[in-house]
Amino acid sequence: MDILSLFPAWLLEQGPAFVIVLPLLMGAIVAIMPSRTLAWWAALIVTLLCTVTAFGLLLQVYSNGASLYTMGGWDPPHGISLVVDALSAPVLLLIAAMAVVTMVYAMPATIAEVEPKKRAPFYAAFLLCFAGLMGMVITGDAFNVFVFLEVSSISTYALVAMGAARDRRALAAAYNYLIMGSIGATFFVIGLGFLFMETGTLNMADMSRILSDLDGGSRVAKVGYGFIVVGLGLKLAMFPLHTWLPGAYAYSPSMVTVFLASTATKAALYLLLRFTFTVFDPSFNYDIVVIKYVLVGVGVVGMIFASLQAIFQTDARRTLAYSSVAQVGYMLLGIGIATAAGIAAGYLHLLNHAIIKGGLFLAMGAFWYRFGITRVTDFNGLSKTMPWTMGAFMISGLSLIGVPFTAGFVSKVNLTIAAADKGWWWAVAVIVVTSVLAIIYIGRILLAAYFGSPPEIDGETVKRNEAPLMMLIPMWILVFLSIGIGSNLFGLGDNFVMASERAANLLVGIGG
Amino acid sequence: MIDIYQINPGLWMILAGLICALVPKGDAFAMVRKAFIIGAPIFAGVMITQIYTSQEVLAGQINIGGLELTTLRIDNLSMVWGYLFCLIAVINGIYGFHEKCRITDSSALIYAGAAIAGVLSGDLLTLFLFWELTAISSVFLIWKGGQRAYAAGVRYLALHVLSGVLLLAGAIFYAQSNGGDYSFNDIGIDSLGGWLILIAIGIKCGFPFLHMWMQDAYPKASITGTVILSAFTTKMAIYALARGYVGVDILIYIGAIMTCFPVFFALIENDLRRVLAFSLNNQLGFMVCGIGIGTELALNGVVGQVFVHVIFKSLLFMSIGAVMYRVGTAKASELGGLFRSMPITAVFCLIGAGSIAAFPLLAAFVTKAMIISAVIYEASYDPSLYVIAAMLLFASAGVMEHSGIKVPYFTFFSHDSGRRVKEAPWNMLVAMGLAALLCIVLAFPWGGYQMLYSLMPYEANYQPYTVDHVVFQLQLLFAAISAFCVLKKFKLYPAEKRGEILDFDWTYRKFGLGIMQWIGAMWTRLSVQTTRLRERAIEGAGRRLFHIFSPAGAMSESAPSGLAAVLTAAMLIIVLIFVYFVR
Amino acid sequence: MTDINEPEALSRKELEERQNAHPFAVPFLWLGNQKVIDNFIWLPVLGMIAMIALGIVFPQAKPAPWDAIPGSWALIGFVAYSFIVLCAKPLTALLARDESYYGEGGLADPEYSTDPDITGEAHHD
Repeated sequence: MDILSLFPAWLLEQGPAFVIVLPLLMGAIVAIMPSRTLAWWAALIVTLLCTVTAFGLLLQVYSNGASLYTMGGWDPPHGISLVVDALSAPVLLLIAAMAVVTMVYAMPATIAEVEPKKRAPFYAAFLLCFAGLMGMVITGDAFNVFVFLEVSSISTYALVAMGAARDRRALAAAYNYLIMGSIGATFFVIGLGFLFMETGTLNMADMSRILSDLDGGSRVAKVGYGFIVVGLGLKLAMFPLHTWLPGAYAYSPSMVTVFLASTATKAALYLLLRFTFTVFDPSFNYDIVVIKYVLVGVGVVGMIFASLQAIFQTDARRTLAYSSVAQVGYMLLGIGIATAAGIAAGYLHLLNHAIIKGGLFLAMGAFWYRFGITRVTDFNGLSKTMPWTMGAFMISGLSLIGVPFTAGFVSKVNLTIAAADKGWWWAVAVIVVTSVLAIIYIGRILLAAYFGSPPEIDGETVKRNEAPLMMLIPMWILVFLSIGIGSNLFGLGDNFVMASERAANLLVGIGG
Repeated sequence: MIDIYQINPGLWMILAGLICALVPKGDAFAMVRKAFIIGAPIFAGVMITQIYTSQEVLAGQINIGGLELTTLRIDNLSMVWGYLFCLIAVINGIYGFHEKCRITDSSALIYAGAAIAGVLSGDLLTLFLFWELTAISSVFLIWKGGQRAYAAGVRYLALHVLSGVLLLAGAIFYAQSNGGDYSFNDIGIDSLGGWLILIAIGIKCGFPFLHMWMQDAYPKASITGTVILSAFTTKMAIYALARGYVGVDILIYIGAIMTCFPVFFALIENDLRRVLAFSLNNQLGFMVCGIGIGTELALNGVVGQVFVHVIFKSLLFMSIGAVMYRVGTAKASELGGLFRSMPITAVFCLIGAGSIAAFPLLAAFVTKAMIISAVIYEASYDPSLYVIAAMLLFASAGVMEHSGIKVPYFTFFSHDSGRRVKEAPWNMLVAMGLAALLCIVLAFPWGGYQMLYSLMPYEANYQPYTVDHVVFQLQLLFAAISAFCVLKKFKLYPAEKRGEILDFDWTYRKFGLGIMQWIGAMWTRLSVQTTRLRERAIEGAGRRLFHIFSPAGAMSESAPSGLAAVLTAAMLIIVLIFVYFVR
Repeated sequence: MTDINEPEALSRKELEERQNAHPFAVPFLWLGNQKVIDNFIWLPVLGMIAMIALGIVFPQAKPAPWDAIPGSWALIGFVAYSFIVLCAKPLTALLARDESYYGEGGLADPEYSTDPDITGEAHHD
């Protein structure tokens, strides 16, 4: 409460528009900036400002409840509205904060991975992607979702393709992502078209009202729902539709991977929650059926298959990428449980996984930065050559496995309890099995790093060569967050759990 | 301010272990670590003394995510294990004094600390935490045994992590059926959770068919590693059994089988450390059986047996370890006649052997008599238990065979191997001497075993040194030694041969592995076939499209894109089917 | 083993033994004497007989069914022990495999092991 009073009133009032417009505008300006350093400072300041604003908005939601911002003063359903509530605000803050982390890290990383000519455009594309993601999350207008989805996606394709400076395969990966992403967006917009036919509106709240008046609507609404779920499923890397993800994560520049892994799929997942629980309603027969059978089915199958695939990868980045697909399975499982506890657990895992995977990919980028390492076999002895980076990797890895006192443990335990409450014992078993698989694929890397000896070059053991401070700081911030959530330092754990519970309550309709 | 009496004493040792892990390498710093490794258990022991009162002490409550955890419980049962683990950690510390290895030092401390914290924990979740920590910290001791220990270490870790996972699952089930109460008291096997926890414990304490990790990993660990490992893990499991499963009938039968089957394996095994691992398994059988009987006498016997067992088993492992340190091998076929060069170690080994075989005046005589007597007393109500009593007697003769005769005989006597080595280092001798002294003191008829009695959970008034007990026990032992001499005379006693003895782990180390390899081979073939089919289909249908749309022009990239698009369509169809047709 | 019929060889061998042995072990070197080994059997046998006799005088306070037979525990001990040992042969035939059976031999850590297989020293006997 007292923190909230520190924010200027106009910032809170205009904040929802601010967090989209500022990066969009600055994206255009940064693109033509002559100096790389200037571009970096501009991007960093924009992301910082957005983070502060998002934090203010979050506090405001918790103290004053949800707020509705109308663009240009046009009231919904005709005007475009921006919605900040308990569901969107934490994701907004997550995206903005991860953008700051990525930006700090990007300073050394871009020097190593992006061609000099492309650095200012790189920051511009990054800001556009950032603006798109923020827009996707905050908008209350269904068609705007599509627009922002495309803004973020198209800039992401460009960002991924910039990885070509270090690995030509990035081009193929970006192309692949482009095709798949476009299919997903097309599916999504087709679904919206059907919905528009049925309801005659594009405002989400309005759509929801009309749909429930129609008691779920006709076949048109059902088909629209199917298209939207599959389109979003593609974007969030739901199991059989995840094929774009490993390539995109593995070959894009490291900071792009960090940002993508911790925000892009999360924003799509947020949209899935938004559409299945608020636009549509689980009380519609077709909605709950899809949640219960399809989402849970692909989630569980994905958890197992992707974990197995992660085990057999030779490239550590691909291992982490497949692990992301598996983790999406956990979140889908949480959604599929469809109780307040289940959704809260899924939502919490969404937040935690962003922090954990962000930390892991930050460390991966540092390994590449110093030694050009991506293959698991090259990890031998990294604990001796890069102890701090490897330490961050280890703690984040343990958190991914779900070792007590780390973030992963909290969300996995909550998910397990939610599944058990629902009586889904098989789901508990799957969580346990996939955790064991996670031990294997993370343990494989840790074993090499901690028990292998550093390689020798010309008969001399490779010397200690730690990552630069600009990389270590963001990495360790995420590591401390992860431990903080797991051990409830400074009440972090409680706050995260509370945020997820509020979001879940909003979705299942218990209070605001 | 945190009240230090609220902190589980095991945590101090874990902390000391973590500090050891940070102490730099180098001989000067090794002394700092050694100070920790001997000082920390003593400090933990003092803390237990400070906290312990004659009543149950519950402390260290913390609340994590709505779960109320009781991280510290010291009562007359857990206190025994706490003291015992502190004591043996000190002895192990002295034994490993010469070894300047940072990993061994810190993992030994963390491992022992986790075991202490585990037995002193008041609820199932805290127990689970330390249960896993013992597994994770101890595997480094195995891996210190060198390259050939690596695979065994991984198997060990896998089984123990599985045990922890089962424990957690069981705890959740159990708490569900129990109104969300995670406190660790009598559990029983009425619920699914109870069964799961029992299996988790069964893995740790080597129930038949779950035992093979012990004989697989212990003999491959480093010399000090084996000694340390043998003390904690299994006894922690015995504690969990004694806490949660007293008087569960099935344990009587499991325990009886556990006492008998290792006897045969120990007989034909050549590696003496593995013989001792089998012998450890057999001793655990006595304890499990006693817990199954569940009378006051039996439980007293079990607690006493655990206490002395840890000491004499360590003594045996230490003496064989000392031999291995000097000679380089623990294979019976390579040893013999060593009493000439290592006489002090030989005497200690004989004391340990006599203790495990339950000679009067040596450690196990009192406690084993209590367990067997408890079975025989119960048998007067249920005559079928006479079978169990007979099995225990049979196993006692077996103990005499593998631990009482085989281990010392083939090491120190038998035919002279011709090896002339130095006596064990002074620190090993001190550690063994302490253990040997305890073996004698704790069975001393005048004021000795009474000290052991004072630790027992119930009032003990069993008289071990009656004429009939001594006489009949000596009958058994003398008869066994006579049989040994007779068989030796008629050349019926098998010579020690080098070789690998198959055990139940063959099912996964050979059979399971074979099946997995076969599946792997078949899978490769299948995937080659399907890839070929798929490639042909995609090539046929989409060659032209592919050439137009692929800027990279790489053949391999088209397949995923195309396939993924097809998958997307299939996914849509599935969703639509669900939307329309599933009610 | 020592050829005890040659007095000169015996003394030289004995001297060598004494020099090589640990000082504490010198008074006990007779334990390695073949005669002692051959006659050791009398110790447990006589002990057993004495204990059986004592067992008849002081019967078990709480007898099990088998305690009706005099010397029951001695019988159990002798039979059980012999049975276990005699099982060795068939069990070995059934269960023993070559040491490299699981193919995990590997090299032992030289820090801890001086196994002749690894160091390449000659085997004793």
